[in-house]
Amino acid sequence: MAGRHLGNRIVAVPMAVLALATIYPLMFTANVAMKSRREYILDRFSLTSSLQWDNIVKAWSSVGMARYFANSLLVVSVSVALLLLLGSMAGFALSQLRFRGSKALYLVCIAALLIPFQVIMVPLARVMADAGLIDTYPGLILAYVAQFLPFTIFLMTSYYKGIPAEIVDAARIDGNTTYGVYLRIMLPMGVPALLSVGILDTLFCWNDVLISLLMMPSAENRTLMIGVTSLRGQYSDDIPTFASGVLIAAIPVLMVYLFLQRQIADGVTAGSTKG
Amino acid sequence: MKQRILWSAVLVAGLALAGCGSATRPTTSASDSEKVAKLVVWDWKSGEETAAAYIQKAKADFAKKHPGVAVEFVAQPFDQYYTLLGAAIQASKGPDVMLFNGGGQIRDRVAALLPLDQYVAEDKERLAGWDAFSQDGKIYAAPVTLQGHPIYYNKTLYEKAGLDPAGPAKTWQDLVRDCGAIKKATGARCFALGNKEGFGIQFFLSGLGSGVLTPQEYDDWIAGKRDWNSPNVKRLFALWKEAESSGLNNDGANSTALFNDAFAVVQSGKAAHIIGLMSDIGHWKDFGEFLGADKVGVMAAPVVTDGATPSLPYDGGIGYAVAKWTKDPRLAADLVRSLTTTDALNSFYSDAGAIASDTTIDVSKAAPAVGTIVSQIKSGKPALHVALSSKTLDLMGRLSQKLLSGSATVDEVVKQLAASDKAG
Amino acid sequence: MGAGARRASLGARFERHAPYVLVAPAVLIIVALRLWPLLLGVNFSFTGDGERNGSAVGFDNYLELLQDPLFQGSLRNVGLLVLLLPLAVAIPGMLATFIYLRVPGHRVFRSVYFFPAVLSPVIVGAIFNLMLAFDGPLNALLGTVGVGPVDWLGDPDVAMFTVVGVQIWATFGMALVVFLAGFASLDATLLDAARVDGASLARTIWHVIIPSLSRTIQFVFVTTMIGMLTSMFGLLYVMTSGGPEGSTYLPEYYIWIQQGQMNRPALASAASTVLFVIMLVVGLLQISVLRRTGGRT
Repeated sequence: MAGRHLGNRIVAVPMAVLALATIYPLMFTANVAMKSRREYILDRFSLTSSLQWDNIVKAWSSVGMARYFANSLLVVSVSVALLLLLGSMAGFALSQLRFRGSKALYLVCIAALLIPFQVIMVPLARVMADAGLIDTYPGLILAYVAQFLPFTIFLMTSYYKGIPAEIVDAARIDGNTTYGVYLRIMLPMGVPALLSVGILDTLFCWNDVLISLLMMPSAENRTLMIGVTSLRGQYSDDIPTFASGVLIAAIPVLMVYLFLQRQIADGVTAGSTKG
Repeated sequence: MKQRILWSAVLVAGLALAGCGSATRPTTSASDSEKVAKLVVWDWKSGEETAAAYIQKAKADFAKKHPGVAVEFVAQPFDQYYTLLGAAIQASKGPDVMLFNGGGQIRDRVAALLPLDQYVAEDKERLAGWDAFSQDGKIYAAPVTLQGHPIYYNKTLYEKAGLDPAGPAKTWQDLVRDCGAIKKATGARCFALGNKEGFGIQFFLSGLGSGVLTPQEYDDWIAGKRDWNSPNVKRLFALWKEAESSGLNNDGANSTALFNDAFAVVQSGKAAHIIGLMSDIGHWKDFGEFLGADKVGVMAAPVVTDGATPSLPYDGGIGYAVAKWTKDPRLAADLVRSLTTTDALNSFYSDAGAIASDTTIDVSKAAPAVGTIVSQIKSGKPALHVALSSKTLDLMGRLSQKLLSGSATVDEVVKQLAASDKAG
Repeated sequence: MGAGARRASLGARFERHAPYVLVAPAVLIIVALRLWPLLLGVNFSFTGDGERNGSAVGFDNYLELLQDPLFQGSLRNVGLLVLLLPLAVAIPGMLATFIYLRVPGHRVFRSVYFFPAVLSPVIVGAIFNLMLAFDGPLNALLGTVGVGPVDWLGDPDVAMFTVVGVQIWATFGMALVVFLAGFASLDATLLDAARVDGASLARTIWHVIIPSLSRTIQFVFVTTMIGMLTSMFGLLYVMTSGGPEGSTYLPEYYIWIQQGQMNRPALASAASTVLFVIMLVVGLLQISVLRRTGGRT
């Protein structure tokens, strides 16, 4: 195995240091979340002297976080499912099928990828308002899909380009329609890419603040990150409660990642043998 | 590729010529027949625990007057507040009532607001701080708090250094001498300074201004006749530089955030003085929590120039305004009035520690520092920095950092500020 | 004609247009909710602010931008970011390579390297503010080895590098995920062949891994650039507020200041249009350059 290279052992040392450096902030956040406000202001680094579970409770109950959590869960899961479906369909067509205008359509997607949200923020709000989609779940879902679809298509296209054309040809000879090729070959073979882009799309949607603020003016329709952000007012120095909110928001995404990253590494073999 | 460039050029030119998309939609005329069932309020305060009772009381008062009308408070995160408000203003669609900071933030946006003069006439005597919410003689918001910059000091550190905690220095010279004694005895610095956001200079300018400018110069400054080249204005900026170079400030002021790292420096006893605030945060209640309520002193600006008369710099802090597009202006204005009743403001004062705009609130039972501040409100004057445009303030923040790091001279700074002030 | 035949011809037509059916939903959404608002936004940048609200002002906003030293500074910083981009791509690329080659502990590394990416930039910024404070732990550590304190966030020559460093640290986990998926599709026989030939690690990376991953690398290059240019607001807001002395301004932060704090939405619109053009040029350049180098092997 390639892993027997002598260099690997030496490389593991800085990588372990980096691993510590990436765990530390989460530990630090957890530590702060357990402190009282007073303790935090007087000494930020010290280990917490008590476990202030109150902070977590306060963060959870103060601004209707439970409802925001449910909102986020709904909106993000539907958005990501749509993103993966539409992104893989378009990615397949743009990478493996030949048709008039495919290059131009691909360029449109790339160009859309490069649009900073700030430039379309206000007009988008207006378009959505005209369509009566402001303050509705479909509106927010659509806004997320539009925002992250170019990214998803870009990744799926570049991934599918790596799949040899012979595989598609062979499947057609077996009597598959284009849709059959998509369902039976492309979707299973795309699993690693779908999982990784799925993780990233989940992260983007889950952590978004601005789009959600813009699309959901009503307090009861807001998403989790807005609740977390509002734990930190204009001048608020209650960092422990804010840190608790950050933890509450971070844990679900972390779980999704920890669950899926194994599938990325292991799922491949399953995908390619099936195909 | 070439074709693509050509195509984009044509497009850009077309858009430039067409450039007629109006920024603001024509506001639809209010139809009074339409029954308003709900008012929406935007702010960044109502989500805070210390404001809960205040909002509750205001809501109750409004419900008594208009039982059929629901009120929804939407707390926005402050960092995106004005961005969202901008989007709402461009779409002429948004909240009926909204919270503003006094000064530049509201004055820049009065085109989208309803003049309130006819609705708030009865409150004009009772509340203070209207000027910060007025433009060209019209009132656009009712003040909720007063915001100003008292100089707070830590009496415990004074005691440790053998100084009289009840008699702080009256002149700059004496203050520097006292600070020397405090540093020797306790190791604490003279000033806690946070200038990462460029806010430190604003507090410094306003906090110490009345001890440097003569009363005439001060009033002229507020009235818009600002002579940036006068020796006393230069003296203020030289003092800023001097305080840093002679080691009066905490280390790394340019990388210390005023909110809230500089406050923590005082709260943990690492600096003896700070030019703080009267509302929101960094005020008597915040410091008192850590230092002990009776150990927080408030002193007048130390005198630098002969003839200067120290006064408390303050303006209206935050206030509620009514959007032009609201369907029933009277109803929205009534909500603003409910948000500024004595009863509601009293709650805000006692829970959040904000110095409220209502002059009839009884503060006799409060911490000594509050008494000192409130007693100075009558003789107080508007803060120097609030008179400047947002653009000049932004520039001043950056230039002040250069003064601290030594990469600009006072003359250069004053010259640039004068140009910006004139243009804006 | 029987019903079956009609169904068959309908099916044939459905099959013939399959590519369009597959891309249509995505393209419709993108055109309606990205490109159309973009046109409106660009159009808006040719109108005025304040007293000139709504009237056409031609290129005035763009001229004002060009003359604003702050905006010039933010463009210089964009140049700096583009220069640092290879570093931001190479780091997760190398780490993914070693994880793929199963260094001791690769499972743990794979799990924890993503941790920073799930934290909000606000909390990441707050933590690094403490770490990098003038009297903070990092300077204390440097002090013990005799290096003078560095004002990481207060020195205008250093601050931009500090913020970019934190940004790379906070986001390399995302690029890592993409690389891992890229490796998942790598043909393992190529690696085995290289091993049989006795190729060194460096040669294996250079001749086998990089060419096979060219598309992934291209993707990470473009998306990392987008991340750096459009999603550093949180870090900038918390860590430097654009300072010291305006040295850490990026167009994104400039847009936020003009839009929210200065109430200049049309000027902000012009600035975001400039940002879009820059990203379009740099992005397409990257794609064509990387495609050419990738295509050669």
